[in-house]
Order: sequence, then structure tokens, then C-alpha cells
Amino acid sequence: MTSLAEGPKHGYAITLDVEQMTGVRLGPGTLYGALARLEAGGLIEALPAEDRRRPYRLTPTGTAALEGQLRALQQVVRSGLDRLRVVGA
Amino acid sequence: MSRALARALLQLYPMAYRRRYGEEMRALLDQTPVRAMTLADLLRGALAAHLRPAAAALSPADRVRASASAVLACWVAFAAAGFGFYKTTEGARFAAIGTTHPLLGDAHLAVQALAIGASGAVVLGALPLIAAALAQARRQPRLRMVLMLPILAVLVFAVLTALLVLVAHSQGSDHPNTVGGGAFIVWGLAGLGCGALCVAASRRALFSVSLGPPRLLIALLCSSLVSAAMIAIALAGAVYAIALQTDASNLAATPNGPLGVLSTGSSLIGQLGVMVLAGTLAAITTRRGWRVAGA
Repeated sequence: MTSLAEGPKHGYAITLDVEQMTGVRLGPGTLYGALARLEAGGLIEALPAEDRRRPYRLTPTGTAALEGQLRALQQVVRSGLDRLRVVGA
Repeated sequence: MSRALARALLQLYPMAYRRRYGEEMRALLDQTPVRAMTLADLLRGALAAHLRPAAAALSPADRVRASASAVLACWVAFAAAGFGFYKTTEGARFAAIGTTHPLLGDAHLAVQALAIGASGAVVLGALPLIAAALAQARRQPRLRMVLMLPILAVLVFAVLTALLVLVAHSQGSDHPNTVGGGAFIVWGLAGLGCGALCVAASRRALFSVSLGPPRLLIALLCSSLVSAAMIAIALAGAVYAIALQTDASNLAATPNGPLGVLSTGSSLIGQLGVMVLAGTLAAITTRRGWRVAGA
């Protein structure tokens, strides 16, 4: 979902983006399993196919859900780093 | 070689999933290196897709198709159990007990009448789909082959049935008790195989043919009728089995079938179990089909 935050992407572009962000290359089974679940949950939607590829984009619900998740993660990261600084001091 | 294997592994995914994501996955496989991990990932994905099918993989029309196809599968299993019920309760002794105990006679009659009605609903629902499939098969050789499979399977099963009857007659009686258990088991397994092939081929054809909303709606209506009839038949069958147990316990205790392993009462319970399960699954899947159609 984070990969789709900057705009619609098709499967291959998502794979490259996720690999660049995390260092993990998603297999086609994992990628499309996740896309199917997100689509079923109304978090992403498919756009008309371009050639053999179909781009996906976040829905408004997906955008809100992603933002909520990222803010929660941000809070965890901030707290964790603060605590590390206290221990290290 | 790996790429070809990866493309072959895509065939392991559910049909609806392939229809929705297959082309995209093939495009992705063409653009990325295929390693052993990719093959393992595809296998894992296929298993997950079967265990937890995502609703997004099915378009509303495909969900109605899946519902109709599942009801047909339930009907085949139900019909097999129903045939067992018919064979278990046929004969002079059962006819006689039906006349002296009205509840037994009425329940048996209800089972037969409902079975005829349900068979009619199956034919009514299938005819528009078969007509559409035949019309499109002229342009699609692969679809022609898919449609030929159930016909061939039924023909083979008919030949096997004729052989079984011949064996029974050659033993001096047309009663199955005189037929070797081995021949009966082979015949039964062939029947199950034929039913499974018919279901698989019809499912394949159903997903290969483009169908308009009216035909799908007819299929869904008939699926509802068949599901309701299955539950009603199972209920009538249960009434019959209970009445037989209470009113004619001696008859219920007699050995049943060519192998004589189970009593008549136990056989009826087993058959009714399959009927109830198939009827319940059909009702659940039909309800899901209506939910999609109404959305």
C-alpha cells in the first residue's frame, strides 16, 4: 500500500518499488495474493488494463487506512528511538 | 525451462483467480527472473488462493457462475446418495410396508416427486447455459472438447452399467445381491468418476462461456429451486428412515446392498447424511449467489 501512495502502479512496478524500499523481492504469488486481499477489502482498486498489465491505486478508504497505519508506526518508531536515547545516555 | 514451469504452475490457481489475475501474473513472470524461490512462491500462493479465496478474484457474474457450478456439484453428490436411497428402499417388501404404514408410503412418494421436480429444475437451469455453450463452441475448438468430455464419460458409464446388468442376469437373477462385490465397487467408482468429470467439465465450460444476466438469473433461480428441493427430499427421507426404524425395525435391520456390510437402517442414515450435507452446502452457496446478484 505504501508503494501505491505516490500513485497507481502495476505489478512489476510494485515489485521493483518494494524491493527498493525494503530489499525484499516479492514473488508473484505473494504479490497477487496481497493485491487480491486488498482489493477484496476495498483498500485498493484496479484501473483499466494497459496491454497485459493492470495498474492499481489506493481507494479513499485505503489512503485513510495507510495513513492511520503509518502514523501508528511513526509513534512506535519515535517512542523506540527516544527510549534507546535514554538508555544510551 | 523455469519460466515454462512457472507458467504451468499458474494452472494450479483457482479458475476465477486465473481469469482475474492470470494475464497480469504471466506478464510479471515475463519481466522478472524466475528462480526456485519464485516457483515455491507460486505454489504457496496457489494453495492460499484455494484455502482463502479472495472475493476480489471473482467478478459478480463469476460469483453467480461459481454458485451455479457448486450447486451442480452438490446435486451430483446428492443424486448419488439419492440413487442409493432408491436402491435401498426398492423391492416388494418395501412396497408392501408402504401400503400398510401410510407415513412410510407418503414419505417415499414425496421423495420421488421432489426428486423429479429437482431434476426438472436442474435441466431447466442448465438448458440456457448449454445452448450458449454450444453456440460458442462452434468458434472455440477447446470448448468443444470440454463439452464432449461429460458426454463421453456418461457413455462409458452407461456401457459399464449395461455390463453390470448383464453380469447380474448371467447369474440367474437381476437382483444386485447376486452380483460380485468387486464388479459393484468398480461400477460405483466409475459412477463417482463420471460425476466428478461432468462437474469439472461443466464448471470449466460455465467459466469459458460469456453469459448475459438473464441466463445467469435463470441459473440462479433454478439453483434455488434445486437447493430447496434437496433439503425437502432430505427431510422426507429422514421421516422415512425414522418411520422405518420405528414401524418396521425388522426390515431396517436386514443387510443392505450386494456386499451386505451395513443394515438397511445404517445405509439410510449414511445416505441421508450425504443428502443433508449436499443440500446445506447448496443452500449456502445459492444464498451467496443471490447476495451478489442483489448487490
